[in-house]
Amino acid sequence: MRIKEHPILDIEDKKTISFSFNGRVLQGQEGEMVSAALFANGIQSFSIHKVEDAPQGIFCANGQCSQCTVIIDGQPRKSCVTPLQEGMEIKTLVHFPELPPGNEYHPSHPPKELECDVLVVGGGPSGITAALELSEQDFSVILVDDKERLGGKLVLQTHKFFGSVADCYAGTRGTEIGRILEEKVLNENNITVLTNSIVAGIYSDQKAGVYENQESYTLVSFRALIVASGARERSLLFAGNDLPGVYGAGAFQTLVNRDHVKSSRRVLIVGCGNVGLIAAYHALQAGIEVAGLVDAASEITGYKVHADKIKRLGVPLYLNHTIISAEGEGKVERATIAQVDKDWNPLLTTAKTFAVDTVLVAVGLNPADEFYETALESDFPVLKTGDANEIAEASSAMIGGKIIGRKMALLLGKEVFLPPEWQEKADILKSLPGETIERKHTLPEGDGHRPILHCYQEIPCNPCATVCPFNSIQLSGKTGTILDLPEFKGKCIGCGLCLLICPGLAITLVRRSQKEGLAEVTLPHEFRHQYKPGDRLELRDRDGLALGTGILKSARFNKKYRTSLLTVEVPEKIAPDVAGILVQKQEAAAPLAKPNYSYLPENAIVCRCERVSVGELLDFIKENQVTDLNQLKQTRAAMGACGGKTCTELLPRILQQAGVPKTEITAASLRPLAVEIPMQAIANQGGQKK
Amino acid sequence: MRKYDIIVIGAGSVGLPLAYRLAARNLKVAVLDKLASAGQGQNKAAIGGIRATHSDRAKIKVGKASLNFVRSLKQEYGQDVDYVQGGYLFPAYDPEIAAGLKGLLPTQKAFGLNIGWIEPEELEEIAPGIKTEGLLGGTFSPDDGHLSSLKLAGAFHRMALEKGADFFFQTEVTALGQSRGRIETVKTNKGDFQAPLVVNAAGGYGRQVGLMAGTDLPVFPDSHEAGVTEPVQPFLKPMVVDIKPDQNSDNYYFYQNLAGAVVFCITPRPQRWGTDIRSTSEFLPMVIPRMLDLYPRLRYLKIRRVWRGLYPMTPDAKPIVGFDREVKGLFHAVGMCGQGLMLGPGLAEMIALALVEGEEDPEIFTDLSPYRDFSGRELLQ
Repeated sequence: MRIKEHPILDIEDKKTISFSFNGRVLQGQEGEMVSAALFANGIQSFSIHKVEDAPQGIFCANGQCSQCTVIIDGQPRKSCVTPLQEGMEIKTLVHFPELPPGNEYHPSHPPKELECDVLVVGGGPSGITAALELSEQDFSVILVDDKERLGGKLVLQTHKFFGSVADCYAGTRGTEIGRILEEKVLNENNITVLTNSIVAGIYSDQKAGVYENQESYTLVSFRALIVASGARERSLLFAGNDLPGVYGAGAFQTLVNRDHVKSSRRVLIVGCGNVGLIAAYHALQAGIEVAGLVDAASEITGYKVHADKIKRLGVPLYLNHTIISAEGEGKVERATIAQVDKDWNPLLTTAKTFAVDTVLVAVGLNPADEFYETALESDFPVLKTGDANEIAEASSAMIGGKIIGRKMALLLGKEVFLPPEWQEKADILKSLPGETIERKHTLPEGDGHRPILHCYQEIPCNPCATVCPFNSIQLSGKTGTILDLPEFKGKCIGCGLCLLICPGLAITLVRRSQKEGLAEVTLPHEFRHQYKPGDRLELRDRDGLALGTGILKSARFNKKYRTSLLTVEVPEKIAPDVAGILVQKQEAAAPLAKPNYSYLPENAIVCRCERVSVGELLDFIKENQVTDLNQLKQTRAAMGACGGKTCTELLPRILQQAGVPKTEITAASLRPLAVEIPMQAIANQGGQKK
Repeated sequence: MRKYDIIVIGAGSVGLPLAYRLAARNLKVAVLDKLASAGQGQNKAAIGGIRATHSDRAKIKVGKASLNFVRSLKQEYGQDVDYVQGGYLFPAYDPEIAAGLKGLLPTQKAFGLNIGWIEPEELEEIAPGIKTEGLLGGTFSPDDGHLSSLKLAGAFHRMALEKGADFFFQTEVTALGQSRGRIETVKTNKGDFQAPLVVNAAGGYGRQVGLMAGTDLPVFPDSHEAGVTEPVQPFLKPMVVDIKPDQNSDNYYFYQNLAGAVVFCITPRPQRWGTDIRSTSEFLPMVIPRMLDLYPRLRYLKIRRVWRGLYPMTPDAKPIVGFDREVKGLFHAVGMCGQGLMLGPGLAEMIALALVEGEEDPEIFTDLSPYRDFSGRELLQ
């Protein structure tokens, strides 16, 4: 299924072309990723693993793992990074591919050589701002990014960003911020941008090997290196965690927001950080049901406004819960959660099973900083920035990149000043949510308007305080930073700009109605709808509690913000509490009448590429007195196609589970390549692309 | 003070099988290694080829013993090390190379090697897809093979543990203590060990350990880089070795392992001396065009990982094995010249015999003596 319409994204019409999958002729869109075309045709199983003939679904959708590999015209290719072309013959990969025949000689060519002052790995928010800063300081920069479009994960974010309007485009949607940054960097003469290109290795002779455009190999010499390669999603161990239909929130965003594929009917999301909360919102915007969000922690780690938004829309949040199994015939058909005790062990009597076809894992991110670690073994200057340095919001990555750019200029001998307030701003932007402060709201007297700020938690955000034409919304001034809560004082003409710009959709507008005992509440709404005046809407307070219904008076669509303002007539006494309307039917989130699962935690897969389970590793660890993660390679864990990108952080935990103290564990050695490269590309023989 | 019958310095290609052989003789064995677990030095950098096809008497003998031991691991010891008896193939496209390879055959056969010249048609059958244009034939030794160095280290480690050997990792030897010309203590960052017998099996660091006892062993490591591809269905059984030099490299070699991956390595020219094992940008552009020239079909294979390891070289490219003449009880087994994996299993039993039973095979212990004349040079390296 495809997403035909979306409240935020423009869905372009692309040329329809034919291809075949295992002999069946199917339709896809020219140039879309093969994985998207397969998903759109309901195909989610890409290969059959040699271990237990397990079907393999998509996992990263980001070119990093190899789980989506299929045979395309006789060659194994990662479907998530291979554009679809007319007439492609695609087949399921069974176990290992055959080496394609073809004994004819092809001439090889040495790699292209490029030079620069600073190589920046990664064209997300921090990499771009670092490159821009270095360019401003007259350094030559080569910026390498693995995607077609720059902007990193911003291009997948349909929501408006938090942070500071002046420093990092707060109140603007991620997709738009990505576009702005991309345009800036492409217009800089000092910056050479290599898109669709992956840095595969940082070598000791101060050169980087770049797999360019999926067809050639280029060596880049540099004086210094900036690692801005972002983050990787953490994985989670539960039985069935390798079934097609279990993947990361990042992959989900790619499928839905980039590829416009309706990848699921109903998802369960594990993790109540911002990534999980936003994924739930993106799912609902794409017309996908969300059965719930689960988090083992007892508190939501993401922004409260994000969580409130999700709850209002009809999605339950299960705190102190974890997922204990995903099951189904060849794909996820149901998932079971259970409450956890104080040691985070599941209480099986509390198990609830949901009929979902997808489990999204959003249990946090880890810096993807391997190049930094490698570079430290050499003596050229190296710095890291953005999520590769520290997991934080894109807003802080933007200013963080700028700081790192300037620091690098200093390291390279340029006499330049690093304003201390840059770092102060960056620190504020990456602050974790602060105090939650309750406040009472009332209706204004007379027939005036008043914005109600359903914003109770101190987070770095200021768009509302910048947009009011009368400056009637200002930050409290408690700390003098953008962490302070906004307050309304003064005049309001009901223009609704604050509603439109608030990234948390946490502002409503109220006024008394002419009818006795009633009031009008205006709500921002980022969904496509067919509501007509007179319709009854289900009202929710900020925590998602039902407040009865209200009658829609008007619905105005604001094109610039792609947001509707719904004005609803409600009883006067609840008006200040109405924060949103229910969007998802309650059945979508209901568990099955009886839980239906097997509890087999040792069956959880740790190394996905080689399908090595928890149980297998525990046995090996005991038999071989393992303390060095390198020993686990004998089980083939971390030896697969992805190079241990997922299991490297899980393996130490298994060792600890087996009783090895954390301090005695030796990390596995790190080696190039970061991504697999065909020999013909290394030898620049051409011909990888059709 | 921890007291042992024997201390082995180095849990690598030589130290691991030796620890097993000694522990199996009921000796109280301590193995010390500065790294975190077994086989983490140059052993795991070995690409996995194991052969008796050398051109030197002692090395052929040791190689054959190694192969025998490795072949028995699965059946007799229950250890699967992914051994495949695929043979070693040395193709020739150049009359000079062909003549050189043919010239070695009488010597090799004389020492009991199963090796012979094969014609292009047969060679093509053994290595389907190899370049046929200009192919003159080559030598093939079907009794050689390949295995997983990782699994071999794991197997020997387990076998030694089972026999009661004690392993001390992250334990770096800092000094060797002597008393009246006899080895007495091994000092480490983790305290002292005592034993009447100490084996220097420190591989690339064998010279440093020798110097701790005042013996300067001519072991100087150079380094080679290697790589491994994604796995594919089996298509190639033997190790293919192209010994024809190029502008900036000497021989290179590759094979498909039991897991399906192609593992490859090249000898750069000039040699890169020293102990730096960080990967360089030169390796892939050096080796891949050569491999694709010889075997065009490999071009579709994706390279997964690269690494660099040391070849602890000696002046005559032969190991140094034998008792130290100055320090009694100190035995050296170093300078495997990048062939520790294929020599270690065989040497282990010979060394154990010498150390415990006092039986020294003269062919081995004369030819590989630390005090030999190092000016000779093996023809096939």
